[in-house]
Amino acid sequence: MKTEMPLSKPIRHFLNTTEELLDTEISLLREPDAEPGGTLIDCYTYDIDRNVIIFPAQYIGLLKDFIIAKHCTHLMIKGAAAKKGSYHVCSYTGDSVYRGMRQIYFDALKDEVNKKDKLPVQKLIQLLFILFSHFNDDVNELPWNTIVNASVYHRMPKIRKTQLYYVMKESKNDMDEMMEQEEIIPRRYFVLNKAMFYARDMFLAKTLPADELMPVLNIPQMKKFNHLEVKEMLTTRWTHTAWYQSKIFGDNMLEIIDKPLSQVNWSAEPSLDYYYELYKIGSNLTNQLLSYMTMKDWYVWEEPKHLLMAHDNKEEYEKNALKKIFGDLIADSWEDSI
Amino acid sequence: MTVKESVELLRKGLSYARRTKYKEALVYYNKALTLDPKNPEAWYLRASVLIDTGKSKEALVDCEKAIALDQNYAPAWSKKGLAFYNLEQFKEGLFASTRAASLNGNDVSAWYIKGVCLDELGRSDEAQEAYGKSLELEIILDIKSEKKKVGR
Repeated sequence: MKTEMPLSKPIRHFLNTTEELLDTEISLLREPDAEPGGTLIDCYTYDIDRNVIIFPAQYIGLLKDFIIAKHCTHLMIKGAAAKKGSYHVCSYTGDSVYRGMRQIYFDALKDEVNKKDKLPVQKLIQLLFILFSHFNDDVNELPWNTIVNASVYHRMPKIRKTQLYYVMKESKNDMDEMMEQEEIIPRRYFVLNKAMFYARDMFLAKTLPADELMPVLNIPQMKKFNHLEVKEMLTTRWTHTAWYQSKIFGDNMLEIIDKPLSQVNWSAEPSLDYYYELYKIGSNLTNQLLSYMTMKDWYVWEEPKHLLMAHDNKEEYEKNALKKIFGDLIADSWEDSI
Repeated sequence: MTVKESVELLRKGLSYARRTKYKEALVYYNKALTLDPKNPEAWYLRASVLIDTGKSKEALVDCEKAIALDQNYAPAWSKKGLAFYNLEQFKEGLFASTRAASLNGNDVSAWYIKGVCLDELGRSDEAQEAYGKSLELEIILDIKSEKKKVGR
């Protein structure tokens, strides 16, 4: 690692360990327009010689260190998987896109029956792939984000305060996702999206430990569930709200997350075997979440290159799936929309 | 007139430096220094680019020049601390960053460099204090920048 930027001791140590164990090089890049959470461009995903961690230029202290620690841990997991076995991600194919979009369509139809203001057909059609793709991003991100945060917390006690600030901020942003579209997104998907983040936050609130990270304290829409008695919660006033349902689904997801992760020895000596084990746990966790959300056949475990190619072909996959769902009816409206 | 021109050149240089176009930034800074070598800001800005391009020794010289022109010029002290840190002269880095933080208590970088230097010198508890101050300031800046984004 060659860098002219100052780094706190544990981060520098961890970067060196990662480079040694993976026999690779990591560059740090400060970019004015970088994503707030930074970006990892790694040689296990892209066809490049060295790994780059990009972070926002305005982060000059411990926030920068935390972002580096986070991406470096993820890199370690990816690299260990690639070296010990094979590194796979949740990708998609034309067929799996069809299965996912069809399910979303059926769920959307059920929702539309009860809606006063119906969603225009063209919007509904557009929504199908957007949601499919959104969940693909989420399942490729959320389990790893949880594991990475737990790992950073145990390995780097010096940056815990920074981590707490960052995780709380991230949690608020994630919960804000889809908010503007709440009325048009089929309820089931709005709830599942929120439930995933709720479960992650609950797990991290327990792991860090930081009560203030609990969604019922950190997320404005969920604050009303704090101090609410069970009896009160069961009245229709609450049970019919998307946020209440998110909490119920989220509590179940928390169990799915908590079970394997509570067995991990987070302070074990870092080694390729150790990080490979984390990779396997993360993959199993992803599968269990997918099963719980009945999305198991939406995605396929493939090499990262497969996912990059799938992204390149997404328009074609979407078009073909729509043709299969709607038959010839779709041809004209699709042509009109492009 | 030359002072005005020099300030304009510095502004242009800074806009390049912010986009990590260091070569171009250096051209403007050099021109500005030729026109007005008595401006500590010009020395400081050139030192910043020199550090970002891995030339900490040269940066140190520029920081000294800026400080010679204005003993209380906090940004130059802060950069000097960073240059010393890069050169693994942690005691000197600690001195410079402490001076920077006392001149400008809101300098995130100064507190952070103070923290990393203390850490390197094995003074862990004091390092935590400096890190704490640096984080506090960084969070305030981050919240401000988030608010700006929302307001846009």
